Amino acid sequence: MPTHRELMAITGFSSTHAVTTLVARLFDAAFLETDAMGQPLPGRFFAGLAVLGTVSAGFPSPAEEELADTMSLDEYLIANREATYLLKVKGDSMIEAGILPGDLLLVERGAEARDGDIVIAQVDREWTMKYLRRRGTKVFLEAANKAYKPIHPQEELTIAAVVRALIRRYA
Amino acid sequence: MSPPLTIGSFPRAILHIDGDAFFASCEQSRRPALQGRPVVTGKERGIAASMSYEAKARGVTRGMRLAEIRKVCPEAVILPSDYETYSLLSKRFFAIVRRFTPDVEEYSIDECFADLTGLRRPLRMSYPQIAARIKKALDNELGFTFSVGLAPNKVVAKIASKWQKPSGLTAIPGRELHRYLAELPVQHVWGIGPQTTALLKKHGVATALQFAQKPEVWVQHYFSKPFYEIWQELNGASVFELTTGEHEVYASIQKVRTFTPASRERDFVLAQLAKNIENACMKARAYKLAAQRVVIFLRTQQFQDAGLEVELSSPTQFPHDILRAVTPAFEGLFVPSTLYRATGVTLLKLTEAYYGQLDLFGEAIRMQRLSNLYHSVDTLREKYGKHTVFLGASFLAHTHAQHDGERGHLPERQRQLLPGETARKRIGIPMFMGEVT
Repeated sequence: MPTHRELMAITGFSSTHAVTTLVARLFDAAFLETDAMGQPLPGRFFAGLAVLGTVSAGFPSPAEEELADTMSLDEYLIANREATYLLKVKGDSMIEAGILPGDLLLVERGAEARDGDIVIAQVDREWTMKYLRRRGTKVFLEAANKAYKPIHPQEELTIAAVVRALIRRYA
Repeated sequence: MSPPLTIGSFPRAILHIDGDAFFASCEQSRRPALQGRPVVTGKERGIAASMSYEAKARGVTRGMRLAEIRKVCPEAVILPSDYETYSLLSKRFFAIVRRFTPDVEEYSIDECFADLTGLRRPLRMSYPQIAARIKKALDNELGFTFSVGLAPNKVVAKIASKWQKPSGLTAIPGRELHRYLAELPVQHVWGIGPQTTALLKKHGVATALQFAQKPEVWVQHYFSKPFYEIWQELNGASVFELTTGEHEVYASIQKVRTFTPASRERDFVLAQLAKNIENACMKARAYKLAAQRVVIFLRTQQFQDAGLEVELSSPTQFPHDILRAVTPAFEGLFVPSTLYRATGVTLLKLTEAYYGQLDLFGEAIRMQRLSNLYHSVDTLREKYGKHTVFLGASFLAHTHAQHDGERGHLPERQRQLLPGETARKRIGIPMFMGEVT
């Protein structure tokens, strides 16, 4: 807070008495308060106000404030919206990874596939879903079903997408 | 060798991006069995709407009838259009470009312009590098290729994106411009049609460069303003601004639907028109627009079009009003015992919908009632899907299948509904199709 002399300079008053009167009125109007030591403090009118959005009537609901930073299920499941596609599982090659025929997957196209990712690859003009395995310079696909043998691609392996989430409805 | 038309490389950096064979590519990218094969979309309309490069190479052209396609390219895979999926992918296309710059003009479902001016420093890349980065993101995330042109303005960017197709990336800096224009027939310049080409030919102008090198006074003397502006851009100046924003403002709204078999039933054809009017109004309401002029048209089985324009006394966004106003025009157009295959409607003179100031004879009250009614209609549609409730006048268009053998013409995605999806409402995420082994 400025001193009385500083206030004189700011206001242009020629006596400290005028400043004292002004300060007293500021106290009366609650623009100023005193702290525990009796020193003046800015009152509640100077304090920052939390902006809670506009409401048509009444006080803002505390629930609104708390929910401002929650995620939708979409945001939870999808990292890159523009690159995410749906895929309906038709085979049983990933059954031991808990992926069943009829399950719905969210897959991310063009994402970098790392060792151990479940990927959607393109083999013989069909989609195939397998674990991607990298062993040194070798790359192959492995099913989560003992009935299927690993696929060692002869030529370049085309990986279209990486599986990011599985959705299964029970109704 | 001619001298450069301008020496600034990129006083502005404008991109034009074009999806290669967009609809056919959407189909190939979600179904590997179609890759490398000639694919044609538009089965439900009976004509080719889009063809893959494999189909183009075999002589299939846009608008070709199905019977002819089967003749020139018997191995073609002909698919019904899945506009829902194409639109989802189109929105993604623009969203990806907007990651790099907010100045994007959505020119059509498969084309856009983007302004990169000033982005070199924040992105720490040259303009061609930024263009390459955008192309890579599009190709990777959408699963098919795009052709990109980089130039100092829109007209030249359009030339650049066409320079190498498919999957090209062509940068035409100002100082190189003359080399490209020297090889380009003038009719290939965006906005120069057959009439202008004929006039230019009379003056001995055959290439874009010859046009660009004509004196300014000559161009202003013989041509109207749009052509003078094209001339300026061919000389490296930037005249045409980008219309950015996510297509918030429409100059017009058009809805056209083909139906098969063709019909000579007056009530059925009118019902088809009514359904188009409902759809057009639905879009107008979504964008809070009202139309004051309406054009309706009918197409015969012989592809003959007839249309009429109707001016309304006040702007509206409700099919009730429009249908009443255009029915006399329909009666004038409809020729009994003629076979019709399509109807269409265009809403024009669009203004922001506002019903505050109408005449004193109860019109404001009537509008308020209609507004309440359609608010309910729109709420029902949001909850239960399009056309949950519709006008009695369009009843026949809803009860009859739009096309012969409707199932065969229904896109595969709409035949593979997920639990909880309905014929009217599906998850807004494109789906990979085909067997997954």
